[in-house]
Amino acid sequence: MPTPTLLQSIAITLIQCVLVVLFVFVVVPLTVFAERKVLGHIQQRLGSTRVASGHIGITGWMNRGMWKWGRIPVLSYWRGIPGLLADVLKLILKEDIIPAKADKFVFFIAPALSMVSAVVVFAAISFVPGTFFVFPAWFPGLGGLPVSGGIADINVGLLWILGVASVGVYGIVLAGWASNSKYPLLGGLRSAAQMVSYEVPLAISLLAPVVLTGSLNFGEMAQRMATGTSAWGLVPQVFGFLIYLTCGFAETNRLPFDMPEAENELVAGFHTEYSGMKFGFFYLAEYINMTVVSALAAGFFLGGSWLLPFGLQGLVNQLLPADAWIAGPHAIFFVAKIIFLLFTYIWVRGTIPRYRYDQVMSVAWKYLIPLALVNLLLAAFVRCAV
Amino acid sequence: MFKNEEMEINLGPQHPSTHGVLRVKLRLDGETITHCKPVIGYLHRGVEKICENQTFFQGQVWTDRMDYCSAVANNLGWAEANEKLFGITVPRRAQYIRTLLNEFNRLASHLIWLATHALDIGAMTVFLYAFREREDILDMNEAFCGSRLTTTAFRIGGLREDMPPGFEKMARKFLAKFPTCLEEYENLLSENRIWKKRTVGVAMLSAEDAIALGVTGPVLRAAGVPYDIRKAFPYAAYAEMDFEVPTQTAADTYARYLVRMAEMRQSARIIQQCLDGMPEGPVMAKIPKILKPEVNEVYHATEAPKGELGYYLVGEKGSTNPYRFHVRAPGFINLQSLPKMAEGGLIADIVAAIGTLDIVLGEIDR
Repeated sequence: MPTPTLLQSIAITLIQCVLVVLFVFVVVPLTVFAERKVLGHIQQRLGSTRVASGHIGITGWMNRGMWKWGRIPVLSYWRGIPGLLADVLKLILKEDIIPAKADKFVFFIAPALSMVSAVVVFAAISFVPGTFFVFPAWFPGLGGLPVSGGIADINVGLLWILGVASVGVYGIVLAGWASNSKYPLLGGLRSAAQMVSYEVPLAISLLAPVVLTGSLNFGEMAQRMATGTSAWGLVPQVFGFLIYLTCGFAETNRLPFDMPEAENELVAGFHTEYSGMKFGFFYLAEYINMTVVSALAAGFFLGGSWLLPFGLQGLVNQLLPADAWIAGPHAIFFVAKIIFLLFTYIWVRGTIPRYRYDQVMSVAWKYLIPLALVNLLLAAFVRCAV
Repeated sequence: MFKNEEMEINLGPQHPSTHGVLRVKLRLDGETITHCKPVIGYLHRGVEKICENQTFFQGQVWTDRMDYCSAVANNLGWAEANEKLFGITVPRRAQYIRTLLNEFNRLASHLIWLATHALDIGAMTVFLYAFREREDILDMNEAFCGSRLTTTAFRIGGLREDMPPGFEKMARKFLAKFPTCLEEYENLLSENRIWKKRTVGVAMLSAEDAIALGVTGPVLRAAGVPYDIRKAFPYAAYAEMDFEVPTQTAADTYARYLVRMAEMRQSARIIQQCLDGMPEGPVMAKIPKILKPEVNEVYHATEAPKGELGYYLVGEKGSTNPYRFHVRAPGFINLQSLPKMAEGGLIADIVAAIGTLDIVLGEIDR
């Protein structure tokens, strides 16, 4: 394979960025849609079935179209999908209100902080081990060059991920502060305390895979957890996985830990004063964060793109010829694991109530941190034994 | 440079969990409530005064609009207060049907309470489950009196019409499935750790305090006082019914949850007895076209889903309208206990406290 020049590698990185952002912006709206549908089924209703209640104009036109779809039995279920488009359109077209007494610059920068820190984490996540695909020879400028499965192969990937992800809390705190309003302030304060607290057990629970694999690189960790001798570590790490998932729920402000935006107490929490696309950024950031947390869980605890269930790994390797596009199944299984975890988010939301703020804090400090430490110790023992 | 300051915050009148237009002025020290004052009156329509300008027959329509989640219970109080004022005896079949509808209404009201209370605490699914069953009850309301919410179900002296055909079948079908539905809610909540953490020991109101504040209904019974007007001063057909008054002693939000859930079971039991023992006969007493009282006053209390619903009626000689009409609204009196419940708690607890009081602002502001 030819070595890419500087210009070519920049072009390849840009293409990777576009692909990852594309992935994010496909997964996020679909998660929103899935949330509506899954919650609907949990609650014995249909979920979203139409764009809007309009009969005229663009929504009316779309509605009529979709109801025609509905005559085909399989498609009738998916009539709500254009609603996602309508939602995004609505957020973009809505008037962007900034409260008169707000700190305008901070008010402006807060949603961007949330959003950017959420998306940037994906840089260190490798979707596929090694090469994702190779440009065909006829491709202008990049012919025959490989594209790897992750944007940046950072050797301290986990550290970097945790660092970048924790910038997100600034977005929420600053939003609460800059709104100059009481409910957002309370929401911002809550989230500051909550997210800082939960970062501790989250990090400790992620240390266990680090101990087991002896690496901080996302791809390497996933591979070693799944395939090497440390694969034995996966079994006791069920415990660590649950701790991680609990902390992940808290970090992304989802039920049962949605303190910062507890709608029944704080109206909408830190984003009460936000409207239009600024609110949209917070909304997107929440779902992207969910995807990030799921991707990390899939990578560190569920074997990432490596562990294909039920011995399918060997089967795939046997069936496909050596030069086949082997990355495909890897990517599919990685995404499937992410989707399963996203489903868990929705499932939990449909099932259990919300903790009280002080209880949320006591769960973190009194239970999760000691449990995570015990888990780390356990991982260390397993490491010594294997 | 730094100083400690308490923050004043308005919970409502536009707020997702104040169940309408209740406004609560809170003073917060961090998230702890140091001072709590409910402010009411945003839904005041002057129902009492309006009723004084209407005939006795017309007044019932306004009682629908007080506690709109349990309109039938309000109608029953009005009809019986008037019957007491004029000395009318209601036929036995009408009494049974009234009891039946009243208990269905209690179920509907408790289901709304369960739905909104659980939603306030974050359990979203219970909300929709409870509304599913409430829908069936509203359908029965519609079958009986043509209206789902503002029922105007009764007439002074009995009922406008007998049960429609098929009504009994609807009721029996509902009764057959209702226990499994109750189990469904309880599966989601009763032993749920988070639900218990949010409700056990939250918004306490001791029996002494409850009695001193005039609190009635499930809130009082959850403090261990078995006061239920259906048993203490039986009306309609309750004297002939076999049912228990569920009580708890913990006096917290969880105890009130248990009491209301048990009450729903008892209501279903009463409905079953009404259906099985339904007597034959007319449903309307013979009453004059125009009702004119001698000077007289009555107070009639009924056990509405939310507590003691009292109607005080004064008749004027020669007038077709009441001279004075006053409602002892259970929600209004129960709301007095909110500061007692909420002060010292956290801001999340006041949401639980408002939910557990089961208030309807239409009744409080009237």
